[in-house]
Amino acid sequence: MSGSASASANPQGVVILGAPRSGTTLLRRLLDAHSRIACPPETYALSAAARFLHEESFAEGLRIGVLLGLSYSGFSEEEVLTRLRGFVFSFFEEHAAREGKPRWAEKTAFNAFHLPAIRKLCGDQVRYVCIQRHGLDVVLSLEELVKKTGGYVEELHDYLRRYPEPYEAFAQAWIDCAGAIQDLIDGDERALGLRYEELVADPEQALRRILEHIGEPWEEGLVERALGEAKSVGFGDWKTYARPAIDRSSVERWRKLPRATLRRLADRCNQTLKRLGYEEVTVASPESEADARRRYELGLLVNKMRADKERARAAAEDKS
Amino acid sequence: MALTKSDLLEHLADHARDDLSCVTEDTELFSTGLIDSFAMIDLLLFLEKHTGSKLGPEDMDVDNLDTIGRILSFVESRRKG
Repeated sequence: MSGSASASANPQGVVILGAPRSGTTLLRRLLDAHSRIACPPETYALSAAARFLHEESFAEGLRIGVLLGLSYSGFSEEEVLTRLRGFVFSFFEEHAAREGKPRWAEKTAFNAFHLPAIRKLCGDQVRYVCIQRHGLDVVLSLEELVKKTGGYVEELHDYLRRYPEPYEAFAQAWIDCAGAIQDLIDGDERALGLRYEELVADPEQALRRILEHIGEPWEEGLVERALGEAKSVGFGDWKTYARPAIDRSSVERWRKLPRATLRRLADRCNQTLKRLGYEEVTVASPESEADARRRYELGLLVNKMRADKERARAAAEDKS
Repeated sequence: MALTKSDLLEHLADHARDDLSCVTEDTELFSTGLIDSFAMIDLLLFLEKHTGSKLGPEDMDVDNLDTIGRILSFVESRRKG
């Protein structure tokens, strides 16, 4: 049935989309706990297919890529997409069948960077569940991810080449992902949009909306079952995987950012925040020059205090 | 004006990245990383404004500033001094 031109009104597949660090892994766990939906850990299958479809524009708008290339050998764009879709979807279908479930869902956080190609590939064969999160919380969480992993995935590295300040690079990555996802939500009735903040505040209510959108019944105890199970070891958010409960402290952490950082991020993100229905970030006026100077002086003293403490600790350890 | 425990907790809650709801009078804040350098600088500015006097290098001792109890004692001692 994969790649069928006659997609049903309620297709077998569900694609979860969200900027990385927007709660997509939590959503995956919740959907996978449903008795009729199999949503494995991150497969990277759709983003890999998107790379297969990658094309570049040459002079006069000529598109260089596999679709045009194969068209010169007699394979229409639709035929190539249908074959590729069938190949990719077959993994999801087989996994769902092995789980004994009739429907599949796919979630890989970095899919958000490949949305145009994924939309082209999936056509009308899937329903989309899109999750949006406050951009400044996404920025903070991306920074944590990079610190933990000690490196940047290719998609983020592209932004760091363009924006040397990491916070601004992550902010721009969020703007692009969230904007593309919002275009999908606004323009395609197969896409449902929800916010991370709504999901963590009332997971049952959010999940009921999702299940209604994809045409599946609510199941009692679904949220508890999802959080109680730690099966399906694989790629995804390590924090969500380890948690037996939803952590609501991850909302509005951005408010604790230093004012100068907030001001820079607000300038960059406010337009997209407003489009997504969040309040624009406002930052208090800059400090007086005297206060800024005093803050700098105190910063030097705090650094010295920290160094003194470290030295004292090391000396005590040497003694013992 | 004396600095109250609730004033201090409110200030720290507004400036620390982590959740401080479980902090007691003896919880170590700075040396455990519960409050970072940025929050510590904010705290020092807050204390200076509250006491009306500048802090000097001699005051910059973690032992004075690492717990709610010690901060309150430190401020009280400066007020009396």
